[in-house]
Parts: sequence; C-alpha cells; structure tokens
Amino acid sequence: MRYRVRHTTRYHYPQDVIQCHSLTHLLPRSTHHQRCLDAIIDVQPQPAQGNHRTDYFGNHSFHFTVQHPHQVLEVTALSTVEVEDLRPSMSLDFGITCAQVRNAMISNRDLPTIEAREYMLNSPLVGLSSELADYAGPSFDDNRPLLSAVRELVDRIYQDFTYDPKFSSVSTPVSEVFAHRRGVCQDFAHLSIGCLRSLGFPARYVSGYLETLPPPGASKLVGADASHAWFAVYSPEEGWYDFDPTNNKLAAEQHITTAWGRDYADVTPMKGTVFGGGKHHRVEVEVDVERLDTQAQFQIG
Amino acid sequence: MEVPEFANSQSWIAYQDSQPAHDEVYLADGQIREHWKYLLESLAFLGPEALNERERKARRILRDDGATYNDYRQEQPTRSWQMDPIPLLIDSEEWAEIESGLLERAELFNLILKDIYNERQLVRHGIIPPELLFSHSGFLRPCQGITLPGEHQLIQYAADMIRAADGSMRVVADRSQSPSGTGYALENRTVMSRVFPSLFRDSHVHRLSLYFQRLRAKLSQLCPNSDIPRIVILTPGSYNETYFEHAYLANYLGFSLVQGNDLTVRDGYVWMKALDGLRRVDVILRRVDGNYCDPVELKGDSQLGIPGLLEVIRCGRVAIANPLGSGILENPALIRYLPEIARFFLGREPRLASVPTYWCGDSADRDFVLANLHNLVLKPTTRGSLNQSVYGLELSPTELDDWRQKILRNPLRFAAQEFIYPSSLPVWENNRFQPRSAILRSYAVASGSSYTIMPGGLTRAGKSRSTALISNQLGSISKDTWVLASEPEKQVSLLHGEQETTARVQPWDSLGLPSRVVENLFWVGRYAERAESALRLLRTVFVELNGIEPLPPATYPMLLRAVTHLTTTYPGFVRGDDGLFSNPEPELLAVVTDQMRPGSVAYTLNAMLTAADEVTEVLSADTQRIINDLRDELETLKNNLQTGLASAPEEALDPLVTTLLALSGLTQESMMRGFGWHFMEMGRRLERAWQTISLVRSLLVPVVSDRDEEVLLESVLLSVEALISYRRRYNGQMDIANGLELLLHEPVNPRSLYYQLDRLAAHMNQMPSASGQRGLPAYSRFILEASTSLKLSNPLELARHDADAHLRKNLDQMLSRVQHLLGDSASAIADRFFDHTGGPQPLALLSGEL
Repeated sequence: MRYRVRHTTRYHYPQDVIQCHSLTHLLPRSTHHQRCLDAIIDVQPQPAQGNHRTDYFGNHSFHFTVQHPHQVLEVTALSTVEVEDLRPSMSLDFGITCAQVRNAMISNRDLPTIEAREYMLNSPLVGLSSELADYAGPSFDDNRPLLSAVRELVDRIYQDFTYDPKFSSVSTPVSEVFAHRRGVCQDFAHLSIGCLRSLGFPARYVSGYLETLPPPGASKLVGADASHAWFAVYSPEEGWYDFDPTNNKLAAEQHITTAWGRDYADVTPMKGTVFGGGKHHRVEVEVDVERLDTQAQFQIG
Repeated sequence: MEVPEFANSQSWIAYQDSQPAHDEVYLADGQIREHWKYLLESLAFLGPEALNERERKARRILRDDGATYNDYRQEQPTRSWQMDPIPLLIDSEEWAEIESGLLERAELFNLILKDIYNERQLVRHGIIPPELLFSHSGFLRPCQGITLPGEHQLIQYAADMIRAADGSMRVVADRSQSPSGTGYALENRTVMSRVFPSLFRDSHVHRLSLYFQRLRAKLSQLCPNSDIPRIVILTPGSYNETYFEHAYLANYLGFSLVQGNDLTVRDGYVWMKALDGLRRVDVILRRVDGNYCDPVELKGDSQLGIPGLLEVIRCGRVAIANPLGSGILENPALIRYLPEIARFFLGREPRLASVPTYWCGDSADRDFVLANLHNLVLKPTTRGSLNQSVYGLELSPTELDDWRQKILRNPLRFAAQEFIYPSSLPVWENNRFQPRSAILRSYAVASGSSYTIMPGGLTRAGKSRSTALISNQLGSISKDTWVLASEPEKQVSLLHGEQETTARVQPWDSLGLPSRVVENLFWVGRYAERAESALRLLRTVFVELNGIEPLPPATYPMLLRAVTHLTTTYPGFVRGDDGLFSNPEPELLAVVTDQMRPGSVAYTLNAMLTAADEVTEVLSADTQRIINDLRDELETLKNNLQTGLASAPEEALDPLVTTLLALSGLTQESMMRGFGWHFMEMGRRLERAWQTISLVRSLLVPVVSDRDEEVLLESVLLSVEALISYRRRYNGQMDIANGLELLLHEPVNPRSLYYQLDRLAAHMNQMPSASGQRGLPAYSRFILEASTSLKLSNPLELARHDADAHLRKNLDQMLSRVQHLLGDSASAIADRFFDHTGGPQPLALLSGEL
C-alpha cells in the first residue's frame, strides 16, 4: 500500500522569536517492510541552515535554524511511503519461549541481540519497576512463546486502560498513567515498554502514523489524522515485532513508521530552542494520511 | 652527614605514620630517600620559623592572585586555594616509568573514545558488556560519528594515582570530561618558585610550561576553518567550583573566557557576541559538561550551553575539546575491563596498573562486592555532587545493608574498588611535619602523534591521615609536584615560546570582549561609585550628628532623608515617622550593613563584587588584590558595627572609602585604555553625576533659613570633598550660588557635574559606531543635551527663588531634566552594547502523540 503523509506543525508566538534551532524526526525511515519513496520538509520562514542526516538509531532527522524574526513558524513534512502487507491476523503462538528469550539475551553473541540489550535498560522516560513487572508478569509464563505473551499483554492493556486525551501530557510519567489507568497512545507505548523491560525483555518505542478510514459513505476530513505511537519487542529468534496497544493489534499495513528509539525522548517529532517569543505560545498540528491507490476518492486540495 | 642522626637532631621534620603504607620521604628504617635529601636538608636549615614565614607568604600570594575554590555546600562558599609549602618529589627515573604508563593509558582511552562513538567494536566483540555503555548517562547518542580533525579524539586526559604499599603507582580514576586542576598546578608552581626561589632553582625541577604550549598548539591545530583560529574557554560561570582556574588559564593561554550566552550559532558557525558585533569562534576548550552544551539536542533545560552547537560541530565548522561525549570514559566500570580492552587494541596489558575494580553489572563481581563491601570503596558509575565515593571501612552495619540494597536495586550504577591505603607524605602543620595521605593527578595532552605528559601534576593531601577521602571538596590541601631532573632544563615559557609559529592564535583585543564582560565592567564602575557616594554621605551625617554644636533642628531630618534618597533605601527616613528620627541609629546601621536591602552599602558592594567576579580575567593582579581587600573589609565592617554604631562610626567607614578610592585610582593609573576601561569609566561617571544631582536635590533645592542653609551647604561640600577648596576660593563665605558653581559648573572640579558630563562625552566618542549609523548615537545625544542644559544655566539664576517658595524651582527643573537624560543615556548604552537575547527556552513541546 502507498501512502502520502502530510504533517504540519504551526507555532504561534505572542512576540517575535529572534532565533529558532530545531531538531525534527518527521520523515519516515525505511524499515524491513516499509520504503520511503520521497520525503521533503518545508519550513517557513525560510531557515538559514537545514541539514538532513541519519541519527544514532538510524532514523531520518532534520536540523534547522531560523534566523528571521517570526511570530509564526510552520513546518510541513511531506512524504510518500510504501508499506508491505504484514498479514496482521497471523497467529502469534510460535517462536521461542519467555525463558528462552531471557537466556538468549544473556548468552547470544549475535549483533542484533547485543544491540537489542540497549532496549532492556532504563531510558529517559521509562523506568523499570516492580509494579509494572507484577502487572505484566501473569501473561509471561516461562514456557509460553514471548510473542504470544506480548499479544496477551497488549490485549490486557487495551481492556484495562481508558484512552483519554485529556488526562496526560508529554510529561506524564508512566507511574501516573499506570495508577490512573488512562492515557494516550504514547503513554500506552511507554507503559508496555516499561512492562516488558521490567520483566527482562527488550522493547523500543516507535513513532509514526496510522491511517484512519472515514465511516462508510462519509468523505475523509482534511487534517483529521494524527501522529501515532506504539512499540516493538525483540525476540532473539524472531526479531522485532510491532504492537499497537492503543488499538489492540499488531502494527501492520496501516501503520507508517517514522522513527524508533528507547522512548519518546529519542524520537520527539520536533524539539529545539528559541530566543524570544514571549511567554504563551500556541501549537497547531495537522496530519493527513492519504492512500494513493484510491487517489480519486480522497484527493486533498 | 649520617641521615638518621640528622633527622633525629631535627625532630620536627621526622614523623611516625600510623598506617602500614609506603612513605614518600622515609624508608622503613627511618632513612631519608635519596631524592628527598636536598629538600629536607634545605628546609631543616631554614628552620620552622622561616618555613612558617614562607607559608604565610605563599598564602598571601594565593590570596592576591584571587586563587579560590568554590564549594556551594559550605557556609562560606569561596575559599582561598590551599597549598602546602612542602612539594611532592618524584625522581626522574621513576617519573619516566610513570610517564610512559600514562602515555599508553591516554592512547588507550583515546581508542576507546573513538570506538564508542563509531564502530563500537568493544561492544560487538563482547570485550565490554553492552550495558556498561548503554546504561551510562555519559554516553551521548547524538554524538555518534562525530570526529575531530587529527589523530586524537581525546585531547586532554588526567589520571588520579595513589602509591600502593609496594611503592608502585596505581590509577584510581580517569578524567576525560574536561580534566580540572592544570591551572591550579600552574599556580602552585608559580607560588613555590616565588616563595622558595633558590631551593626551586637548585632542585632542577621539570617545568610545566611545555605542557601548556602543547595544549595551545594542539587546540590551534584543531581549527576547522581557514585563518588564524580564535579560541575560547567555555566556562559555566563564576559560580563553578574551579572558576578561578578557567579565568587563570584563559589569561595564561591568551584565549577569551566565555559563557554559553556569550556565544551564538548563526549561519552555521559559532560566534562570540562582542562589543563591535559577532566574531567567529573556531575552537572551544570546554569546562562545561558535555550534556549541558547544547539544549537543542542534549539536556533540554540547560542554560549553560549554546543552542545549535552540536550541529555546527557535526558540520565541522567549530572544534570542541574534549569532544562532547568524552565523559563516558570516566565510568569507573571501564577500569574493570581495561586489561581486556588493552589486549584487544594493543595486544598487551596496560603498563600502568589500576587499583582492582569491580562492576556490579557483572553478576560474579556483584556477589563479591556485596560480600566484601566493608573493605571496598563503592563508586557510583556516574559522577556528581550526590554521587560521591563511599568508603566501606567507614560504614556501620546498618549503613552497609542500606548500600547493599541500593546496589541490588540498581547494580549497573555501581562499581567498587579495593581500598589501598595511599602512601603518606608530610604536610607543614603546627610547626612540624605531619603525615597525610597523598593522591596525584597527572595530565596528558594530545600532541603530534602521541601525548605530552605534564611532569608532575597536582598533588592533594588528605585532611588527616585517618580519613581515606581526598578530594578538593572535602577540605584537602594541594601541593606542588616536583619531578627532579638530573640536570637543569632549558627554560621555555609561553611568553617567549619557540613554538609560537605552530600555535597561531587570534590575539585578544578589547573590542573582542564579550558583551557580558563590558556590561559587568560598566556595573563595577557604577556600583563602586554608588557605594562610595553612600559611604561619604553617611560619614558626613555621622560627623554632623556627633558634632560639638547641635544641629539646627530643621536640618536634622533633611540630612537623614538625603541618606534615604541617595541610597534609594525607601521608605527609610522619607516615611518621616518621629520614632525613626528620635532614634535613627538602627536605620542608619541597616543602610550600611543590611546586605538583603537593595541600596545598602553592603548590598551595593556585594553586587559590585559579583560583577567583578564575572570579569576576573580582565582585571589586573593589583585590582584583584583590592577586590579581595574590599571583600575582607566588608566582612570586618559587619563585625565592627554588629553591636551598634561605634563611638566614632565614621572611622569604621574610612577603610572602605580608602579602598574604593584605591580602586578608582588603579583604574586610572594601570588599566589599559581599552573598551573595558571606557565602560567602567562611563559607569562611574554616570553614577557620580546621578549621585551629585540627588544630593543637591535633597539638600539644596528646598528653601530653608540662612543659618540652616549654611549647615546643609557645608554638609554637601564635605561629602563631595569640596569644602576645603570652597573655603579657599570664597573666603569661607557660605553662599548657595557659589556652592552650586563649584558643585555643578566648575570644569576643574573632578566631582562637579560638568566634569562628569564632559568625561562621559569623551568616553562615548571612543565607542565603535554601529553600521549604518547616521549622526550622533542616542547615548551621546542625551549627554550632549544634558551638558548643554547645564552650561546654559547660571548659578545665580539657579540659586534664586520666590519669596514664599519652598523650592528652588529653576535648580530643581534643570537637575531633574539632567537626571532624566542620564537615565536615558544609560538605557541607550545598554540597548546598543549589552546582550538582550535572554536565556534560551525550549521550543514548545508538542502535546504528544495520540
């Protein structure tokens, strides 16, 4: 499936920003089942410097500096991505067991496993904790295939937690999300990662987009989509598997991956520093995920 | 001479160490080691009295140089740097061995650093566990793949070493973030060579200057841009514990000392915000921890860094040493794997041994540490004020258990070392030698295809022999370290260095001062003058209050109100409550000593000292000395006036006035007429003009009886030191118009308003003009207008008033206008020359992903 993704972020400041330096993770990376066909990023006002590169995690990052005084900064990322069908309904009762994974993580000497050990540790926004281990533990029977156990964990999180965009912000810690049983996709991804790491399994954070389909008969609203987040777990035999706890499914054809890292802090879509700008600014975000195969139907003006 | 006998006859140089450890000076049988004999004989010859005297001299020099070490956990955070007069001696044969071990270790850490931020072979090949790297906060992932030009990534490296019982040196810690102490080592050496000139000369001590030459050359070679490089030292600021050293090294090496806000990233380069605009910076020697250097990509709330810096580094348009991310090498867990790492990279084990080290991330090590904690030194893998080493020996059983729990909760964060009693060496205390634990920090700088090792380094001695802990923060004392050459060395010094051709560096010039520096100099001038005016008036008020003749009743509240007006310590006496006037002492005392009260003498002087601390590197040694005196006198003043005003309070204020005068005299006589000087002078003149006007408006504008007017005029003249000239000139006839002429219009009176405005205009003429500037700049226009108003006025007209008026309207209007213009001019100077960008703030965070 081919998608065209447009992601616009607009900052409104009450006073002039004299200078803005920013680092973005807005353009999709290529993965085993995804190819980024083209990608451009547009910044208004025109930046004095702008550099694309691949970061430590292999993500596409873009660093820019705006020196022109401005009260509105608009960043638009446009990309075309081809995503392979991953047979999302596939059963997950296969692969090595939880106990085998734990052993292999210590004893295996292959590069992917050694590198995956980075994702078993505390990270800036996700700490290991016994309460998360206690919560997730019952699904992870030693003799059960890891992927099957993770599938169950995702299902439980979906059942036990309420999706509530009003509850959390970027800085809400996992412990609070866990205590109140509510949050948004980013929180559920962090929570799942915390559960897995607390049990000794490697898990990473994935940010990207999810195609949403309009109700039958209705046409899709422009800018109605959103950026999304989920997680991936590593099994030394099976490799990385992506799960979407917010929607209780495997992340598959409708999931477009932008970037991955240990948690949100590694892949923040836009971060940076400004000089000036005054106290209270406003941010607007618009995302459109458009299927190119059905271009006639969902053409965006 | 039989040595033991000699030692016995001089019992004060002998001592008994309580620990079964190596002693630096004495052999087990009490004989003095060969390389110590000359020093000990010379010191014995000097005798305890002379040694005490030399020690005092050393302390005085250190104080005069402003050598301090700040520890903000202490009540008195700024401490003089402590140096013991007995150096640590190392003979050249042993040093050669240590030196080659250090060279190899520096090379090894350089290879580790390269590997960690590039291929990570050590991790891939299982030489080090991945967690050692991945769990450490010093591993800065955004620095992946960044390389400095040249063969070395690790530019400066330091190792802390102690001597084990068998006499061999062992490394206990590695320093790679931005090793501190080279400046203190240099200062120790400077002091020692002045305090013991002949002893130093005859001991043939290896010199330190080559190390700094090599550092300078290496930094200049790192320059990624064409042209002669401009090099800066990036400091976190005057609150940093080793700030003295930052300023000292900046001066010694000829680099500018800057803080994060002095630099900016524009057009893909790093620039210094200088007085005359932006100047490109090519190389940064940093004393700010890596993680704090760029809030865009690293620690987002850092105010110490330069937003966008990392991207400029990545693009190869600025070089920074040590590179960001080098702090990872300070993880003590690396020491545990060093033999394997050395075999992997070099094919052999390191020559210089480390103290046996364990890492709790390894399960066997963890078990060992838990079982033997009482004998080990527990070291958090990340350094910080909350992460100090813990000595198992000093812990109670419950404390040991607490630490075991902490280890079990987070094993990756703890390393441990075997406790080895350091060797003992003597310090000079209570008229004799006393044994103390010794630790030596030695330094390496990348140079050519290898490293240059500083001969010796910084020796520190423990507070007492029984405490195992030695660190600057815990009250240890430092020593010079003498590596004894077999023959005298050829003298090299940075000032006449032969290597100058290879180390071409943009020279310092006063236009290149960061805006922050000129702003602080401006304020040093203003605050100094403000404090002086306040002190002078207070002195006059005390004299009048305690005078033989009682003051006319009407003048009494006016004088007191003038104190409030001048110092702006409102409401003060302006409130006019009778109780305050019947007992003015507490309020007057507060105006002098209450440092929490804006406008008080203590507050103003503290503000001045803070501004001076920010610009230490541009103040001369003499100025530094006067600043120190002011600090001391401020302390003394508080003590003297603590129990109320002394019988002659004006005398208590005299020393401060004298010192402030010395400061302004020194500014006139020995400060280079660069832009720093112009700004300090402008600050001073602006303030003095403002204060003179305030004084005249408080005391001479109101219309009072002739008798009262005489008293007030006398007080004003007394407080601006013009009374004697007045009497001489006008035959003692007290007349307000004459007084105004002398105070306001007299061109040759250096305290007249005319003189201040004249000088201000002259300084302003020297300012660099802004690009595209048409006509006079705003700050000059305001002063021209002020000066014209003054010159067009006439003392007789100004003195005149209507018969029933309470005020001299003409005088008040003119002065009020001039005061206003002075304020406008000061703002215009600030707008034009000072930096207003303010601190960086984070770009709004997204509300997160849904």
